[in-house]
Amino acid sequence: MTEIVANAGSFRDPVNRVYEVSSTDGNNRKRILRGVNQDALESYQELATQSFYKRLVEQGHVIKTDIAPNDDPDALSVIEEGWSGVLEHEAVSFVSYPYEWTFSMLRDAALLQLHIIEQSIENGWTLKDATPYNFQFVGPRAVFIDIPSFETRVEGEPWGGYRQFSSMFLIPLLLKSHLGIDQLPILRSYIDGVPPTEAIKYFKGLSRLKKGVISHITFPAMVENSIAARERDRAPAQKRTTKGQSNAMVLGLVQSLSRLIKGLKSDIRHTDWSRYDKTHSYESEDFVVKKAFVQKYAAQSARDHIWDIGCNTGTFSNICSPHCNLVVSLDGDHDAVEKLYLKEKEEKSSNILPLVMNLSNISPGQGWAGSERQAFDKRKDPDLVLCLALIHHIRMSANVPNILFLKWLRSLNSDVVLEFVNREDEMVVKLLTNKKEQYADYDIEQFIREAELFFTIENREPLKDGKRELFFLKPIEG
Amino acid sequence: MSTTEAYAYVDPGSGSVIVTTVLGLIAAIGYTFRKYFYKLKRMISGGGSNDEPKKDT
Repeated sequence: MTEIVANAGSFRDPVNRVYEVSSTDGNNRKRILRGVNQDALESYQELATQSFYKRLVEQGHVIKTDIAPNDDPDALSVIEEGWSGVLEHEAVSFVSYPYEWTFSMLRDAALLQLHIIEQSIENGWTLKDATPYNFQFVGPRAVFIDIPSFETRVEGEPWGGYRQFSSMFLIPLLLKSHLGIDQLPILRSYIDGVPPTEAIKYFKGLSRLKKGVISHITFPAMVENSIAARERDRAPAQKRTTKGQSNAMVLGLVQSLSRLIKGLKSDIRHTDWSRYDKTHSYESEDFVVKKAFVQKYAAQSARDHIWDIGCNTGTFSNICSPHCNLVVSLDGDHDAVEKLYLKEKEEKSSNILPLVMNLSNISPGQGWAGSERQAFDKRKDPDLVLCLALIHHIRMSANVPNILFLKWLRSLNSDVVLEFVNREDEMVVKLLTNKKEQYADYDIEQFIREAELFFTIENREPLKDGKRELFFLKPIEG
Repeated sequence: MSTTEAYAYVDPGSGSVIVTTVLGLIAAIGYTFRKYFYKLKRMISGGGSNDEPKKDT
């Protein structure tokens, strides 16, 4: 038996809608179907014959797609919803959003977007929009997923996606690269991107002369402010012509954006976590024991997804990687995750998806009705969660009681490898040195009592002469 | 409180046609120059040049 649910984030383009098909028999197999109207179906049939499109799919830049056969029962259910045809896309195993991507992930998606639009225009096609939500990361590789965005180009039409590209890709990248402003909370708040009239407020004095600012922020802001002033109240809106832009104009703009974005950099700073592989507090013997413990439980059974929460630069994600289909590696430290991404994207078949996430404030459900973009922990349950030397930060830096953290871990319905860091450990001592609150409730005995409310403790392994302890936890059913 | 304009009748984003026309005209000059430059270079070097700008990926 299957269950077919319309994707809550797929309604903006009226010509199609995505449906997720999952088995009710408990296996992880998921199909992604897309109901399309007659025009979109014919457009796809034409697109599928184009050699530039086939090349993009072969290179892994665009998601593999086929027309679902007429006798497919799931496709028939989608057709009953009023669509003329059904496309089937290769399923992306874990959905992520631009406000979880590092600077280089957003930059790589932006460059891929420009590459796809350039290829399309050179072949008489275009893309109707240009949003990072049209991309997903498969491991550390960006893939374009919104096939109905391709449409044939009417000669002389401008690139309709320019403003969206600017607000959602370019401006966040410029803010980070030119001003050092963290783009992630901005992207999380401005779900439709930062308009140039807002972006201009961040640039003061000489920073307004930095590369790309005059062309893509100051000038568009000036135009938009002038339209807003001229057409407000009862003044009629002026019809603006949408013809007269040659291929050279559009391709020239796309290529200049590409050169601009390639030149944008965000240096990796030395943070507590970005050099974890060299600065961790273990003696080599303890580190070997810890690695072996993680390896044992990663390999214990067939795992689909493993989450490494608080991954630093991914030492333990790499240990888990051969034992599952996907490792989702999370850390709140942007530069540590950036380092992991830059390393993994060089690996040909990496299955590690690095994401920036503050674990005391994970991505919430948001957008229309709070469900257009899913909350991080509502997307897909993992099979194993690594939670190594994290709990003391959750308790003492984020002030979240251990019992609440354990309850949240239990809600993931997953096995857990957890490393408890005792009060005597030098890293906890450092953390408490200048704190008035000394978290008297934070001790291993209380932790064990609370953990046993939600989990069965299947194994324990002391580290660093008992200053730390590894636990393997199995969720208690019910 | 929102920092973006509430839904209203004015659509300042429609100005992107003006923006892309102006930026497109400027970019087209460079694009056309580069196109003919590489064509000429290929003709001079007998068609074997690999100096064409690389596609972005």
